Amino acid sequence: MDNKQREALAERVLGLSTADQTEVTIGTESADLTRFTHEEIHQNVARADTGVSVRAIVGLRTGTAATNLLDEESLRATVDRALAIAHLAPEDPELAPLPSGGPTQVPDGAFVKATADASPQLRADMADAIFKVAESNAFWCAGFARTQSAGFTIANSNGARASFDGTDAGINVKMNASDSTGYGQAYSPDATALNARSVAETAAGKAKNSAQPRGVEPGEWTVIMEPAAFGEFFAYLGQHFSAQSVDEGSSFLSDGLDTSYFGENLTVTDDYSNSLAPSMPFDFEGQPKKRLTLIDAGVAKTFVTDSYWAKKLNRENTGHALPAPNAYGPQAIDLVVKPGTKSTEQLISETKRGLLISRFWYIRTVDQKKAIVTGMTRDGTFLIENGKVTGGVRNMRFNQSIIAALGKCEFSNAPQRTGDYWFSLVVPAAKIEGFTFSSGTQF
Amino acid sequence: MSFDDLAARALDTASKRGAEYADLRFEVVRAERIETRNGIVATLSDATSRGYGMRALVGGAWGFAASSDLTQTGVDATAARAVEIAKAGAAIARHRFGAPPPRAYVDSFATPIVRDPDGVPLGDRVALLLAAEKALHVSPKISVGRAWIDLWRTDKTFYSTLGSRIEQSIRQTGSGLEALAVGNGEVQSRTFPGDIGLYKSGGWEIVEEAQLAQNAQRIGEEAQSLLTAEQCPSGTRDIILGGSQVSLQIHESCGHPAELDRVMGWEANFSGVSFLEIAQLDKLKYGSDIVTIRIDNTLPQGMATVGYDDEGTKSGTSDIIRDGMLVGYEMSNDTARTIGRQSNACVRAQSWEFVPMIRMCNLNLLPGDVPFDGLFEGVKDGIYMESNRSWSIDDHRLNFQFGCEIAWEVKNGKRGKLLKNPTYAGMTPQFWNSCDAIADEQSWVAWGTPNCGKGEPMQTGRTAQCASPARFRNVQVGVGYGG
Repeated sequence: MDNKQREALAERVLGLSTADQTEVTIGTESADLTRFTHEEIHQNVARADTGVSVRAIVGLRTGTAATNLLDEESLRATVDRALAIAHLAPEDPELAPLPSGGPTQVPDGAFVKATADASPQLRADMADAIFKVAESNAFWCAGFARTQSAGFTIANSNGARASFDGTDAGINVKMNASDSTGYGQAYSPDATALNARSVAETAAGKAKNSAQPRGVEPGEWTVIMEPAAFGEFFAYLGQHFSAQSVDEGSSFLSDGLDTSYFGENLTVTDDYSNSLAPSMPFDFEGQPKKRLTLIDAGVAKTFVTDSYWAKKLNRENTGHALPAPNAYGPQAIDLVVKPGTKSTEQLISETKRGLLISRFWYIRTVDQKKAIVTGMTRDGTFLIENGKVTGGVRNMRFNQSIIAALGKCEFSNAPQRTGDYWFSLVVPAAKIEGFTFSSGTQF
Repeated sequence: MSFDDLAARALDTASKRGAEYADLRFEVVRAERIETRNGIVATLSDATSRGYGMRALVGGAWGFAASSDLTQTGVDATAARAVEIAKAGAAIARHRFGAPPPRAYVDSFATPIVRDPDGVPLGDRVALLLAAEKALHVSPKISVGRAWIDLWRTDKTFYSTLGSRIEQSIRQTGSGLEALAVGNGEVQSRTFPGDIGLYKSGGWEIVEEAQLAQNAQRIGEEAQSLLTAEQCPSGTRDIILGGSQVSLQIHESCGHPAELDRVMGWEANFSGVSFLEIAQLDKLKYGSDIVTIRIDNTLPQGMATVGYDDEGTKSGTSDIIRDGMLVGYEMSNDTARTIGRQSNACVRAQSWEFVPMIRMCNLNLLPGDVPFDGLFEGVKDGIYMESNRSWSIDDHRLNFQFGCEIAWEVKNGKRGKLLKNPTYAGMTPQFWNSCDAIADEQSWVAWGTPNCGKGEPMQTGRTAQCASPARFRNVQVGVGYGG
């Protein structure tokens, strides 16, 4: 279903509602993924669906209902169900009117037809190229090649109208040697821009260079996180930029804005138009997204809102709503960390003793307000001695406050896209002093 | 055209295009959620999704395609797509990978329910949550009160070219509470009945059993008390874990590593591999002699109880850990065949859109013979912890660190003062071998997990780990807070 068909469907559903205010969203997705292990494809999947969601508001009461049944009777039943739920819901005195929208500009490169049209053969060719790198190194590999396209249209009774089409492609490779592993990844809206062999060679190089890993003592280390690792780590700060978290007291920003929480090297924006991760220029209520500087040279400047939290806190609606119903509040889902001036190689060469980290695994919050998280290194962790990478080390568990870690940090000059399609990050490699590891492993 | 006819058409199309075997799941999924937050209804939603997912086997390679298009043209295209995908995989296959299931069934199954949720007026559901959530607010320090109910209904029919036709109606229900307290520079959370609520298969009776309103005030008071509680100490202690935390421990340190697809490297690039290697089968002393962990996908009220899995294999029981020894895995048809066994029906898909894969189902730690209070006897200097707050484990499922919401000091067999931010850490086999007491069936609960993530594309599974509280000796505690 293209955007014109979605817009026509949205108008048709909107016309079925007798609520005081109505919002209709249409989401389409076509997602294909080829997953492999031991040089065989073991999962090779494709799915396609179109969903319709209706938010009905009667006075100060709200109900939502959703369906993927697109016949007239089912659409009418979904509208009626949303309306019936709204009539039964208690009043919310702080309910905000639906936004009236506004002009938006879809960033260049968000939709690439070659990705939308990608065949199973394209992904099989990518997998085969990766297999050959594994076989030439006598490793085994696991990973995926995926292509997807998504469309989203919103229309509401207060005049908001917006549509977006986007594509995404990704390759993820883990190379497995006898006592070491290595990781590589690449993401782009354009599947043809991905080089499967290059990603596989990066992963194979890490596996090769981390062979016979040494054990090192836990404790405080200087670490250099490559973008894949830093993105996973930094993502756990994302929730703190939500107005809801700030208001309820669980965000570090609850202690106030215009305060220096981080080192001067850290500047963070929320920017849907970043060329590495171009995404939807409006939120899931149809409100145009603001491009925001959340952290400026270490100083917290603002947080994100949606219509509800903008009204409740008497702030501007920044256009960061999630799909209704949403109990999580608004979210910053296009985070960008400003790069530094040095290459990753230069950051390594300036490190007397430290660890180079390719990737993390299973990061979880230990203490929400202090932003303490724990997690494991994986798939390529290296010792740096006197400015050189001297070999692999066994994996370790860390316990670390993200806020404290970013108090003394510097960044590489080469940002990369990481993260999922609907929650992407653009981050450089990060060098952090005094990063705390609490235990190790035997692998 | 009926769906039986459409399914027959799809299977026929797949066969004509070269599939040596094909199966198809048609599903109608309904999800209802109500969540109240600080006196308002934050979520009141009702979503229905209908579609079908189809597997085709060509030259030992699988293809899967899913669609919500129920026209004859749409069904033909989806069947053709599944075969096309399988052929693309077969073209680069190094060896034959998949095979058809060993047999077919014609049968039906429905979750037993006592009270149909559809008979409970929406207004009554909302009123129950608003009243329970209001009782959480024991002081202004309760910044957020939340209460929620989830109701899921899945009606599905499985068809295969071997002649299977299996019709199932699955009902799953859950509810819970959370109080978030803010003050003294602290943020502390308490949830009930478990850290994510109480989730089981069944109807409205599951919500009634949870007794949200009866426990809300206590939960609010505990959250507030944690703001001024002492920090959990660091060091080595004997610990007693509440039942829902034992459930989480089973889930992360037994359920996931015992997935045979993970053992075989199928999850290596994402959720990792497993220390429970095939060479360790019937040899590894995973836990102490009192530890037996059993799959039972027929268990009444088990969150993952079904008649048949999503490959069309009939549910049953089998052991993963027996008297402390590793004796089995969670298996699919393809993985079981590689170790000379048969599937134990542990294959699930999140919904029609997703390919079936091995999932933890009902995985239960059999109860011991000690009354709950008996766990405290003989503990000179220990800590009792309840309700999971954080969880992390390495990609071999060995090195873990878990945090709980609340704890109490245990001195000379008695529960003492309240402790905040409790954490504990260890290595999986050493930890389970330190288990020296498990509470009896009086405190054994079918704890459900409604949000288990696995696979790419990520699928959310609904699992159960039935458990009672248990005691573990000489465990590292206080990690992450200076320990």
